[in-house]
Amino acid sequence: MLRFWTGAVLRLVLVMLMASFAGAMLMRIAPGFSSDDQELNPGLSSQSIQAIRRARLADSDIPHFYAQYIASLVRGDLGTSRSLNQPVKELLRERLPTTLMNLAFALAVGWLLGLALAIGTQTWHIPALSFCANGLSGTFISTPAAALALVFLLLRWPPAFAAALLVFPKIYRYAQNLLQQSSEMPHVLTARAKGAGPWRVLAWHVAPIAFPQIIALLGVSISIGIGVLLPIEVVSDVAGIGQLAWQAAQARDLPLLVNLTMVVTLVTVCATLISDAAQRGFKRSVA
Amino acid sequence: MRAIRLTAITVLALTAVTVLGAHYLAPAGYEQQFREMPQAAPSAHHPLGTDELGRDRWARLLYGMRVSLTLAPLAALFTTVLAGLVGGIAGYFGGWTERCCKLLIDLFLSVPWLFLLITVRAVLPLNVSPEASVTVTFALLGLLGWAASARVICAGAKDLMKSEFVWMARASGFSGLKLVRLHLMPNLRGALLAQFWISIPVFIITEANLGALGLGVAEPLPSLGSLLRELQDSVMVRPEPWRLLPLTVLIVVISSFQVLLNKQEIRI
Repeated sequence: MLRFWTGAVLRLVLVMLMASFAGAMLMRIAPGFSSDDQELNPGLSSQSIQAIRRARLADSDIPHFYAQYIASLVRGDLGTSRSLNQPVKELLRERLPTTLMNLAFALAVGWLLGLALAIGTQTWHIPALSFCANGLSGTFISTPAAALALVFLLLRWPPAFAAALLVFPKIYRYAQNLLQQSSEMPHVLTARAKGAGPWRVLAWHVAPIAFPQIIALLGVSISIGIGVLLPIEVVSDVAGIGQLAWQAAQARDLPLLVNLTMVVTLVTVCATLISDAAQRGFKRSVA
Repeated sequence: MRAIRLTAITVLALTAVTVLGAHYLAPAGYEQQFREMPQAAPSAHHPLGTDELGRDRWARLLYGMRVSLTLAPLAALFTTVLAGLVGGIAGYFGGWTERCCKLLIDLFLSVPWLFLLITVRAVLPLNVSPEASVTVTFALLGLLGWAASARVICAGAKDLMKSEFVWMARASGFSGLKLVRLHLMPNLRGALLAQFWISIPVFIITEANLGALGLGVAEPLPSLGSLLRELQDSVMVRPEPWRLLPLTVLIVVISSFQVLLNKQEIRI
């Protein structure tokens, strides 16, 4: 177990280092990096303008710039938004709870709906139910998040429910596939032939095989949820980090955008790590 | 199920014909303005009416479909080549090379796609031409969407490297490019083709999301995504339901792809 955690944390650190390097490079190569609005201030003396230019010149040294960026990240300083003129940390504190609440709702409803339909179609084998479930998942998997958010806006339905409906098809299809594969295994067929009921077969024979892999989907579903929430928050005017990222992109506020991406990456990597650990734990307990 | 698959194939074939014949089917160019009739209702001359700038909606839909449905497969081809290269190298060499490639794959899979896309899009200059914007949008999709496919290819290549026929080929003196060309590529072709087909609807949907957010293809060039922006004027959708046609076309085309891909591996 210690080996697993050491490897996982090392992977997390390496992924975050690579992400931060890419982020720092993006900021460094973005147009307008080498100029500063303060240089246009008529109240500044020529010495002050020279000092600003010298500071900018020091930033053009890439290793120096990256080292400074990492040092400020380690201190918890995520920089200041150029467009909103507010510390990124403060903006995150204001917006993150809204996104997390919507994400939690979308994941809870998406998972519930996806798993319920997958188990239902697999257990009862009713053609109408399978047709409806496949049709529903097919429709929502084919709908762009922004368009569904617009429809929900028209109908005045909660935007988090739109996110749930976009998460659900991925869970349903993956879970249904796994349950199907697991229920075709020889020991499951034997149990059925011996007269075990559908729920008993599901609980004792199918679930122990399929569930570890379904748990592994937890981490990925968080990434999917965050991805679909971005356009939904923009269209529905929800003050979350998705809307903040879009505003930052419109204003070309790269420090804000890169740091937001870093935070979202950290959340996703940690979630994947936890779901991997849960999967291992589940496998061990079954064994 | 067979009837549904047949319907999906018919829909995609009809779409392909429409896209190829857009020039003949459209009553006007996508950028041509009928200044005397902005926001016109559907008529014989303008089957879907005109937009607020007086441009024919039907023509814009046809050309938008052409842009999205031609460039998404190109981006998918690009992403499949990238995935084949990274995944193939990781699976072929194994060891540290595989670990480094997997780390890169993990990095790309950890960052939510749309965040990555809008971040990279924000770095690009503002004054790009419509043609450049469409190229950049789809090139970015191709450049950033390879990671999930690379993982599948890596697993496939790794399995092949352990297979008996590859051992036999190695024992017979096959190595390097000859081994890749004669034994790995033919056996990975199926997986690569599946990843190519899976990527097309994913890219069409992502472009639609970007377009609807105003970060996709620049005006006046239409795409399925940029046409969705008209829906943002939600007050006008109820009295003018024909504005929903681009969304309906998008859902029908993607659903047809999904029906045909249903038996393939489901990529998350």
